[in-house]
Amino acid sequence: MMQVPVAKAEQATSAAVLRIAAVSKRFGSMTVLQDCSLSVAEGEIVTLLGPSGCGKTTLLRCIAGFWNPEEGAILIDGQDTVQTPVNRRPVGVVFQSYALFPHLTVAENIGYGLRMRGLPKTEIAARVAAALETVSLSGLGGRYPAQLSGGQQQRVAIARVLVLEPRVLLLDEPFNALDAKLRGAMQVDLRQLIKRLGMTAIFVTHDQEEALTMSDRIAVMRAGRIEQVAPPEEIFDRPATAYVADFIGSSNFWQAEAQAGRVILPDGQDLSTSLTGPVRVMSRPHNLSLQPGALGPWQGRLLFQRSVGALVEYHVTTDSGDMRVMAMRRPAARQPVEGDTVTLGVIDPGLCAVYEP
Amino acid sequence: MKPPRNPALTDRLGIGAMLALAVLSLVILVAPSIIVLMISFDTRAFVSFPPQGFTFDWYRQVFAQDVLVEAMMNSLQVGMAVTILCVLLGVPTALVCVRGRFPGTTALSVYVLVPHMVPGIVLGVAVLFAGALVGIGPSMGLQAISITVFVLAVMVRTVQSRLQRLDASLDEAAANLGATPFQALRTITFPLLMPAIMAGAVFTFIEGFDNISVAIFTHGFRDRPLPIELLAMVQSVNTPLVAAVSGVQILLAILALVAVSFSIGLDGVND
Amino acid sequence: MTASCTRLAARSPTPGLLEAVADKLLSGRGIWPAVPAIIALTVVAVIPFIILLSLGFSQIEMERGTIVSQSFTLDYLINALSDPLYWTTFQRSMTLALTTTVLCLVLGYPVAYLYLIGGRWTRRAILILTIAPLLTSGIVRTYAWLVILGGRGVVNTALMQMGLIDRPLRIVNTHVAVLIGMVQIHLPVMILPLIALMARQDRRLEEASYNLGASRLGTLWHVILPMSAPAIGTGTALVFTLSYTTFVVPQLLGGGNYLNAATMIYEQVVYSLEWSKGSVSALILMASCLVVLTLIAMATSRITRWTKGRDA
Repeated sequence: MMQVPVAKAEQATSAAVLRIAAVSKRFGSMTVLQDCSLSVAEGEIVTLLGPSGCGKTTLLRCIAGFWNPEEGAILIDGQDTVQTPVNRRPVGVVFQSYALFPHLTVAENIGYGLRMRGLPKTEIAARVAAALETVSLSGLGGRYPAQLSGGQQQRVAIARVLVLEPRVLLLDEPFNALDAKLRGAMQVDLRQLIKRLGMTAIFVTHDQEEALTMSDRIAVMRAGRIEQVAPPEEIFDRPATAYVADFIGSSNFWQAEAQAGRVILPDGQDLSTSLTGPVRVMSRPHNLSLQPGALGPWQGRLLFQRSVGALVEYHVTTDSGDMRVMAMRRPAARQPVEGDTVTLGVIDPGLCAVYEP
Repeated sequence: MKPPRNPALTDRLGIGAMLALAVLSLVILVAPSIIVLMISFDTRAFVSFPPQGFTFDWYRQVFAQDVLVEAMMNSLQVGMAVTILCVLLGVPTALVCVRGRFPGTTALSVYVLVPHMVPGIVLGVAVLFAGALVGIGPSMGLQAISITVFVLAVMVRTVQSRLQRLDASLDEAAANLGATPFQALRTITFPLLMPAIMAGAVFTFIEGFDNISVAIFTHGFRDRPLPIELLAMVQSVNTPLVAAVSGVQILLAILALVAVSFSIGLDGVND
Repeated sequence: MTASCTRLAARSPTPGLLEAVADKLLSGRGIWPAVPAIIALTVVAVIPFIILLSLGFSQIEMERGTIVSQSFTLDYLINALSDPLYWTTFQRSMTLALTTTVLCLVLGYPVAYLYLIGGRWTRRAILILTIAPLLTSGIVRTYAWLVILGGRGVVNTALMQMGLIDRPLRIVNTHVAVLIGMVQIHLPVMILPLIALMARQDRRLEEASYNLGASRLGTLWHVILPMSAPAIGTGTALVFTLSYTTFVVPQLLGGGNYLNAATMIYEQVVYSLEWSKGSVSALILMASCLVVLTLIAMATSRITRWTKGRDA
């Protein structure tokens, strides 16, 4: 089994800007966060990824201080913040709705935090102008939020917290309010902006594409727990649990027996594991190969195929279950047709994962 | 999709009757006030229709009669007191009803409605008797506080419905940006509630100024408010003077209407 | 950067005492801000209601303004219920209120329908014409009917000029005059909830009905009217309560001798100073009003459930 790279998260502790230590949160009898731990290093972007109701927004709101966890600590620069009221936390939140103040101009929105801190007017004006420049909205300071596009509103929301130089930036599904078309470009822009400013950020989303684009590391959450924290490639290549494997990317699962530290794969290769007895093995579709004809031990019947650009996705039914295979298109003559017998193989057994059943 | 092009005769008759009734209703709603306004400029000393001539004399007389001027001032004071009390009591209550985090916020919203659901005269009688038992006689103060309690629900509900439609994260955003709860209220919530408070103020002022059902039992013997004075006058005076007083009141109503349409808009009245 | 960081982290100077208190009150999200209102409502409405109740059901002996003894009695209630004057008065009020409510519905619903099918300007005009009377004094609007229906009023002048009558008709001080006044005064209260519902209405349902070949009248009857049941319920409840307990219109248009429940209570309380009698009358008024309101609510919910069930 793949080990959860907890060690990596723990290493970061010394330099961590934000450390979440064994946080639990309950609403009445319902536990929405259970024993969540996470460290975020200076300048790092970490995504909380999970389906709705998994507790990711709750964790974000606990960091911001809107709610307080019943157990555990949230440390910023080594200081426990649980006692710090929400308006004194060095944390900036970009809300899902952006929560721009509709009765204030863009400049007044951005200057709001500075005004609350009692800065002199001239200094506020200078900082606001600089912030507008940073998010490329110079000249729009006199507009009201309703007069801006969704993308512009998002940038105002970001500028409004950036101007306060928070230690941690919290972004709650910031692309939800935008057109699907805009999102891709906005994601890249936002990541570059955060990186350019060297901000430490926590980003909440339920969209894996977004998570893969935006993050240095991804924390996959499920039912109030953090299942795995790792860089995007590692999450994808070595998902720590079957849940993570299933949630991120597509995956094939089948049942097998582990004996003496080894699992025999259906194509005859084998794989080492620490588990014994019945197990579930997972392989990504692109880690499987497909040959027309009956050429090896792992045979099946091709149910369906479709082109995805240069690749072809095959759906094959085998004794181990239905498998999906992603492979390069072949010359037309050698391309199998639906109903043909095909032979599957695992390309790199090291990229398969073994989980408890 | 339009209705079928060639409707049956019954259909046309039915809808025609509906629309005719609608127009009749609208005429019934507005005609009386217009007729009163016309009468108020009549040059003759008795009420008759159609009016003849045009004069501001009756209006001049309204403001020359001490009783009427005093009654107007009394009503003005009651109206303002009711408005101020309703703002002071109602706005915080609306905040608690919507944002309170304790069991019983719903019970509170219902509790506020209780006096409003009870017929005004029952409330008036109850307050009169209760006051008498503890030695508080009818007075302008008693009248103001009774009407306040009677119409508080209007203010609470107007503000409440606006508050419910505000994005809750606005308040959180303010806190996140460093505002204390009081600062957030002053700089964000309050300005955004202002239209609703204004509309509530107009309605509670009008109620304070015009209310009869509660006022008739609670008003001070010497400080008669305008509606009570007018009620007596309508029954005894048969000159266009009454129409002129009414004209002044209609002007007030028009001002109120304009104020409402500028604050929450006319469509907002229903919420 | 570091310097500005520390400066930004440092918050505004400690707030004044008043602000600190305000923050404390507001941050808990507790009941405190509503306490003054709760006290006012309790002291000025709820306790007086209880006193009213106790006055209606107790024998009180007073000496020099203080209560000497108090004992429970049903005498006042029994007296009231066995007094034919009570019965005729409440019956008159009830008939008047119910007639007013029905007429308001008959006149008000078409306005709501016009609002539904009307364009932007029609809708705006209806709103203005409905809200403006609500902001106008009830006395003024009632007085207008004195002018219209009076001896030298609009109606009589018109009828005489047309040669239909040669002496002014006596309209004021009749039941008809009171009814006309009542309907006009309470019409906006009926219309407002109706047009609120119409404003929320999904026009597609209506269009779907046309699409299926229904006539406009059929659509009105089978689609729009059943959907308006909740608003009709609200409107009728409001109009009934107000017209059942009104004071001004009967007083002005009915002449001094038109006795309804409200005018009777007024006389008992203000002129004859019969407090226990007045209390009982007020309580009977409230109780009978509640009975009708409950019936309206039950009817509305039954119709609404029936419509919903039929739709599903």
